[in-house]
Amino acid sequence: MDEEPERAKRWEGGYERTCCVSSFPGLLWNMFHPQGGVCVFSHGQVRLGMMRHVYVVIDCSRSMEDQDLKPNRLTSTLKLMEVFVDEYFDQNPISQVGIITTKNKRAEKLTDLAGNPKKHITALKKAVDTVCVGEPSLYNSLNLAIQTLKHMPGHTSREILIILSSLTTCDPANIYELIKTLKSLKVRVSVIGLSAEVRVCTVLTRETGGSYHVILDESHFKELLMLHIKPPPASSSSECSLIRMGFPQHTIASVTDQDAKPSFSMSHLDSSSGPGLSLGGYLCPQCHATYTELPVECKVCGLTLVSAPHLARSFHHLFPLQAFVESPVENLQGDRFCQACQAELKDKSMFSCPSCHSVFCVECDLFIHESLHCCPCCIYCQTVP
Amino acid sequence: MASEDEINLLVIVVDVNPIWWGQQAQRDPQFTLSKCMDAVMVMGNAHMAMARTNKLAVIASHCQGSHFLYPSKSWSGEDGGGNDVSSSGDGKYELLSAANNLIVEEIRNIMSKIEVTGNSTDTLLAGSLAKALCYIHRLTKELEVGQEIKSRILVVKAAEDCALQYMNFMNVIFAAQKQDCLQNPATTDSQAQKEETETTNVMGDFFVFVFLY
Repeated sequence: MDEEPERAKRWEGGYERTCCVSSFPGLLWNMFHPQGGVCVFSHGQVRLGMMRHVYVVIDCSRSMEDQDLKPNRLTSTLKLMEVFVDEYFDQNPISQVGIITTKNKRAEKLTDLAGNPKKHITALKKAVDTVCVGEPSLYNSLNLAIQTLKHMPGHTSREILIILSSLTTCDPANIYELIKTLKSLKVRVSVIGLSAEVRVCTVLTRETGGSYHVILDESHFKELLMLHIKPPPASSSSECSLIRMGFPQHTIASVTDQDAKPSFSMSHLDSSSGPGLSLGGYLCPQCHATYTELPVECKVCGLTLVSAPHLARSFHHLFPLQAFVESPVENLQGDRFCQACQAELKDKSMFSCPSCHSVFCVECDLFIHESLHCCPCCIYCQTVP
Repeated sequence: MASEDEINLLVIVVDVNPIWWGQQAQRDPQFTLSKCMDAVMVMGNAHMAMARTNKLAVIASHCQGSHFLYPSKSWSGEDGGGNDVSSSGDGKYELLSAANNLIVEEIRNIMSKIEVTGNSTDTLLAGSLAKALCYIHRLTKELEVGQEIKSRILVVKAAEDCALQYMNFMNVIFAAQKQDCLQNPATTDSQAQKEETETTNVMGDFFVFVFLY
């Protein structure tokens, strides 16, 4: 049919060494990443899709009650999803996430595409009580996601992440046609399988340019989820345009001010809970509608409202810090101290920054690359990052 | 009441830009760098005297680098290495007097040895804050089981900001916010952080800024 990569699957190659394969994979994973899975992979000079619209489809079918992940697959998945949502908004503050669940051959939206993590986390916490019944429907969940994603502007990246535990799917129509539609809409679909590799998912992810992984255990599940937090390289066909954004100032007015007028926050129009009238807030520069928190898309005029630190958070994706050069400690003359934390270099290897040649210990190297994103000593040597 | 196993770490970052302090001495001869260091040492002593498990670190931020004034690399932290440091005869807590002497000696070394190139009056705080965060991270890793650590950074800022440092500064603030979130998940909303004044609102009790201008 279509050309398929020549891979010897287990059922093709016969049952060789199954005893070795089943017990080693976890160990191999840890050996490969001795420092706990640190993968310093920088994109380099690649355009990244930083305004992302991601739909996460969570399988709520009967197979999610399986207890191979403690206490059961559904609870474990929902817990990891909360961590994912937090980290996602930390790394991509101007992006949006929506959650869809599928069971009983149907799909429904748990939360709409939104930029506020609290809503998603509340919904995820409530979803722990759902009953897992029936079969999932890949077609219906993809269709539901497409209804919203196709209206998103062309310069944003449209993604769907499916967490599939069942080995079957119940579709009302030909899913290969839907895959063609996804490709034409430039939606990238990735799948994380909880049971085993399913061929239709392989085809789906290959055609749309996403990734497909099957988990080994809970920590591997978390690693795979975290892989989707980094912004993906933008596809070459996405439009490159100037995006209009508003940077509202926060106004705080007190009751004694003469000009102070209370107003309703536009973000609470849909919900009955939350504060009503407020004196201050963020005013949209275009239409002066009030909002209590950022980032948000103005409901009145459609302008994206952000604050400067939100963009600053995304900056380190565009200019990633270079990997430090590892070398043995014996090469260092004189005092053997880490220049960031002042600890004595006890390990066999030390890391040095290629620009300023300062020496750091293993812990600081990890910390600098994962959290700080800037070399503490380069700041004095060069002027602009 | 704080439990026995809780360690309170205070890192004081002092801006010692010699050009700014020189100009300051002309503006107001009463307030000099030595007076500022005295005040910083009083604050450090007070912090260490509050509880036995309190820890202190002092970093001096210079226009050409940042240096740890206390604890110093060559000082092991125990009394065995302090034979040449004369213990004060007035019964002061030895740790405090040792710390003070060390700070004074180190700052004297720094101010005399470093040659100032250029005449920028900007303060390069981001590097010192980054080093402070690495130090805090290291101490957090060195904890024994059951111990908790609460860390704070007090910044004494003298000169004006350097606009080129904006991205590094924001990276440091976000890293601090993430570390804070692990221990104190109360504040998760981030507000406008363009100026340090607004940053203090967000950071809560993690960063405290003192502006001298």
